[in-house]
Amino acid sequence: MSHDGHHAVTIPAPGPEFVPHTIAHHFDTPVQEFQSAKLGFWLFLATEILLFGGLFAAYFFYHEQYPETFRQGGRQLDWVLGACNTTVLLVSSWTMAMGVRAAQTSQKQKTLLYCGLTVLGAAIFMIIKFFEYKAKNDHGLFVFTDMFGGYDTASGQLSWFKDYDGVMANVPHGHLFFAIYVTMTAIHGIHVLVGAGLIIWIMKGAAKGRFHSGYYLPVDLVGLYWHLVDLIWIFLFPLLYLVP
Amino acid sequence: MSAHTHNPTGHDHSGSAHGAHAHGELAMGHHHVSTPELFRNVLLVLLVLTAITVGVSRIDFGGANMLIAMAIASVKASLVIAFFMHLKWDTGINKIVFLSAFLFLSLLFIFTLGDQATRRLDHEMHATKAGVDKQWVQPPPAGKH
Repeated sequence: MSHDGHHAVTIPAPGPEFVPHTIAHHFDTPVQEFQSAKLGFWLFLATEILLFGGLFAAYFFYHEQYPETFRQGGRQLDWVLGACNTTVLLVSSWTMAMGVRAAQTSQKQKTLLYCGLTVLGAAIFMIIKFFEYKAKNDHGLFVFTDMFGGYDTASGQLSWFKDYDGVMANVPHGHLFFAIYVTMTAIHGIHVLVGAGLIIWIMKGAAKGRFHSGYYLPVDLVGLYWHLVDLIWIFLFPLLYLVP
Repeated sequence: MSAHTHNPTGHDHSGSAHGAHAHGELAMGHHHVSTPELFRNVLLVLLVLTAITVGVSRIDFGGANMLIAMAIASVKASLVIAFFMHLKWDTGINKIVFLSAFLFLSLLFIFTLGDQATRRLDHEMHATKAGVDKQWVQPPPAGKH
C-alpha cells in the first residue's frame, strides 16, 4: 500500500452502498493518515481542556473567596433542569459512541440513526438552556441585552446585574456567580451547537456512504469532540447547580 | 465491565467480532470496536453516578462536599474518556497528549488554590501579629489612627 508520490492510495468500499476513500496526497498509508489526524485531534482536545480549565480555576478561586455568594447563586438555578440536561448529554454521548461503532462496522442506517439521535439530544439541551437563560434574564440576574453595558454608576452594579427580586442582596458581589455561570455555560453551549453542526455534516457524508469499516476517521473525531462536550458538563453540573 | 474485543497490537487475529470488518483493520490499522453491552453499562453507571451526585449534595458534609462532588465527577469523566472516547485502547502518545492537559491543569489549580489558602493564613498571621505588636510596640499617637 505504500505510495510513491504519483499513485493515490485508495481504501476500497466494503459494499455497494459505500464509496472508496482516497487518502490525502501527503500521506503514504491509511494508518499514517489515521494516526496523524488522531494525534492532531487529541492535541486540540487538550487545548479545549486548558480553555475550560482556566474558567474552572476562576470558579474555584471565587468560590473559595465568596462561598456564600456561590451557594446563594446556585440556589437561583433550577437543579432539576440541570439534571435533565446532564441526562440528555450522557445519553447523547452514548448514542454518539454507538454511532461511531456503527460506522466502524459498516452499518450505514445505524450510523445515521444514532447520529440523528445525538443531534436531537443537542437540540433538547439547547432548548432547556434557552429557558434557563430566559429565567435568569427575567429575574435580572443576567440581562443579556445589557451584557456589554459596563458599570452602571447609578446602581453601583454592572449594568447586566439588576437582581429585581433582591435574592443576592445579602451576599457580597452577587454578580460574580452569574458572570461565571453564563460565561462557562455559554462557551459550553457554543460547543454544543458546533458539535451538533459537525454531527449533521457527518450524517451528510454517511448518507453518501463515505464512512465504513475501512474509513470512519471523521466520525471518530467528531465523536471525540462530542464526548468532550459531555465531559465538561459533567463538572459544570455539580459546580453550578448543586454548589458544594 | 463487560466483554469487548480488543486488539492492541494492530495485527489481525481470529476474534469473531473482527471477521465482519477485517478489511477495516487492514485499511486503518487500528480496530478496537467496543461491544454495545460495554457502552450500555458505561451509560448506566454514569446515570447512577449522576443520581448519587444529586443525592450527596443534599447532605451537609461541610468542606468535604466539594471534594465528594469533584471525586464523583472525576470518576464519571474517567469513564467517558476511557470507554466512550476509547482512550483506553488508543496509542501511548495520544494518552500522553490528552492526559498531560490534566497534569498542567492541576498545576494551575494547585497554585491558584494555594494562593487562596495562604491568603487566609496570611490574614490570620497578621491578626496574631497585631496582637503581639500591641504589647511591644508603642501605640500610635492619638488622633492619627
